[in-house]
Amino acid sequence: MECYSEQTCALLVDGELTVDEAQHLRDHLVTCQRCRELVDALRAENRVLSESLRELPEEAASPAAFSRLRWSWVWGDLAFVAAVLALGWIVSVWIDELKIPDALKWFNPFSLSGLTNLMFNLSYYLAQGGTAMLTEYAAVVGGFFLLLLLGGSALLLGRRGRLRQAGPRLLIVMLTLSLPSVAMERRHGEFVTVPASETVDDTLLATGNTVRVEGVVNGDLLVFGRTVEVRGTVKGDLVSFAKRTVVSGSVEGHIYNFSQSLDLDGQLGHSIYGWTQSLHVDNRGHVGDGIVVGAGDFILEGEVKRSVTIFTSNADVSGSIGRDLTMAGGSLTLTTTARLGGNLSARVRHLKDVHIADGATIEGKRDIQVRVRKSQFRRAGFYFRQAVWLASAMLVGWLSLVLFPGFVQASTQAVGSGWRSLGLGVGVLAGVPVAIVVAAITLVGIPLSFMLFAAYLAAIYLAKIWVGAFLGRILLRPTGATKHDWLLGLLLGLLILTIVGFIPYVGGLVRLGMVCLGLGAFAWQLYQASRPAITA
Amino acid sequence: MDARRNKAKGPQPREVKDKQMEGRDLESVIERAQGHDTQALGEIHRRYFRRVFGLCRHMLDSRESAEDATSEVFLKLQRSIESYDGSIPFPRWLLRVAGNQCIDVLRRRRRGRQVIVEVEYGAAVVEATSSEPSPLGSVIRMEERAQLQAAIACLPENFRLPLVLRYYSELSYDEIGQQLGLERNHVAALIFRAKLELRRKLAHRSK
Repeated sequence: MECYSEQTCALLVDGELTVDEAQHLRDHLVTCQRCRELVDALRAENRVLSESLRELPEEAASPAAFSRLRWSWVWGDLAFVAAVLALGWIVSVWIDELKIPDALKWFNPFSLSGLTNLMFNLSYYLAQGGTAMLTEYAAVVGGFFLLLLLGGSALLLGRRGRLRQAGPRLLIVMLTLSLPSVAMERRHGEFVTVPASETVDDTLLATGNTVRVEGVVNGDLLVFGRTVEVRGTVKGDLVSFAKRTVVSGSVEGHIYNFSQSLDLDGQLGHSIYGWTQSLHVDNRGHVGDGIVVGAGDFILEGEVKRSVTIFTSNADVSGSIGRDLTMAGGSLTLTTTARLGGNLSARVRHLKDVHIADGATIEGKRDIQVRVRKSQFRRAGFYFRQAVWLASAMLVGWLSLVLFPGFVQASTQAVGSGWRSLGLGVGVLAGVPVAIVVAAITLVGIPLSFMLFAAYLAAIYLAKIWVGAFLGRILLRPTGATKHDWLLGLLLGLLILTIVGFIPYVGGLVRLGMVCLGLGAFAWQLYQASRPAITA
Repeated sequence: MDARRNKAKGPQPREVKDKQMEGRDLESVIERAQGHDTQALGEIHRRYFRRVFGLCRHMLDSRESAEDATSEVFLKLQRSIESYDGSIPFPRWLLRVAGNQCIDVLRRRRRGRQVIVEVEYGAAVVEATSSEPSPLGSVIRMEERAQLQAAIACLPENFRLPLVLRYYSELSYDEIGQQLGLERNHVAALIFRAKLELRRKLAHRSK
């Protein structure tokens, strides 16, 4: 008699055959050793399965430990957040200790200026070069997040079981990493003014159509308004979001400017960081440190003690700069009265865009580079960069998978929903910047918008990981869902995306599509993760 | 020394007696619980918490959701225990309730859609080819067991759920089919394929 199939034997072992069928099979077993062995093996397998399932893969919870456990999570979260904060603080102190040269200070990711610089550079580049540049900046932020991930992973590895709801956790961490709240005085109205006789001892947050400071603000001044005028003194920093900002008094700290135009007629103790349509340092204006600005037009008639770094379409310098002038962009004019204590380095498109009057003084070297687009594929550095890019993306992918396995797998899967992800992604890509601006205008304010911005860039960076992993999975069709399969898929997917990304014209579209898809999947998964699992 | 330890591990007469007592008074505990006796409900919680949690942990993807689901099962038990009629053993009934709760959770995550949607009709008959790894042996080392647990956890839902319902909750194929909204044949095929998948994974790992 012919032997039974393994599945039928399995049904017998599971007690799922009808009485008749079971009897037939048992009769067969008496004569057939092969089937008997198979049935025995299947029984043993069932036993192993039952026993393995009975033992919980991790330490089993007990009813008594249940409520205590929940509390211990809260404490655990607090401890974790405190640890990350401490780590960040130590690193930031350490970075401060290093005495970074001024020119590099903007790169310090732990300082406010680091963040603002990232923001204006991005916006400027966006206007100039479109989304291709965006990925470059996303890479910078990716590096930053990599640091954060690396720092946190040691703490997190032991706790991976409870980190499935990645979104909210990440938010907590970022919330605590955001700027510490300070004592703050708020003023709001059509016309907000600090009269000459008044001294504000706290940080002042002013919102209004016109904000005018004639007195003294001992803390920082944060303003949102149409016109902002500082005629008095601000002892701290000035952070301005306005159509027009005029400083004719003095600011002893830095100016972080996001106004459409900034005019400095007065004294500034430290540097200007910002991003503006036009920046004008009047001949009475004096900048104690340097300027790092992205501006449509840059006019310098006054004095800057240290270096100036500008990304601009049009720079006019007739004042003096204590050290170097570094510019990239459209045209540069140095008039006869211009004085430069250090080097001049300019990157322009055409040599004729640089006008240096004979009378202009340049103490250091002149380095004027004309950007000629050479094929990037001929340079070894290009391949090296791509390799580093790929490696870091793989590392980030791996870390995310180790830390948030469920979330990562689900995000990868969410890419597959196609139009939903794409549509959502387009919405998020366009909508979040608006939300950032809105958040920055309302009172809750700047920390939130910075956080949102950082999350936005991180999400853009992560987008390619979900899409890459998804693409890889489609192509490889792994049988299991192990980490190994996922990472292999990611590698393949990223390789393909990278190569396709360099095809002229189509490449840009592919990249944009990839960012949208990935963003959409990520947003969708965040939404899913943040929804309570049980709502009964 | 060893002999003493072994002796200490063996079943003590008192423990056996306790177990019998537990079996007998389970009925009365359930009866009292059906009459909304909170102490009795607490007793049931104490006795079956681990088993219910274990099921939820195997069925859901995270410890958090498993704990939430477990709490929910015992919370709803106050009302649902009235419907328990004693026709099947209580633990089995309770695990069925817990299984339903987990499936509800999964279904809600999918916005009300079926938990297992992939209906491949060809799947009803699965033949193991001779090249497939043989059934997992009864003698399985500790580290292999850990690997097996990991492999189960990594199984896709449509394999994992029927497998867990069968070998943890010990439900019949029909009951599993009812819970998951599947044909009996399909359940059989999924369980069989789940095992093949596990064998394949373990064979792959031990290489």
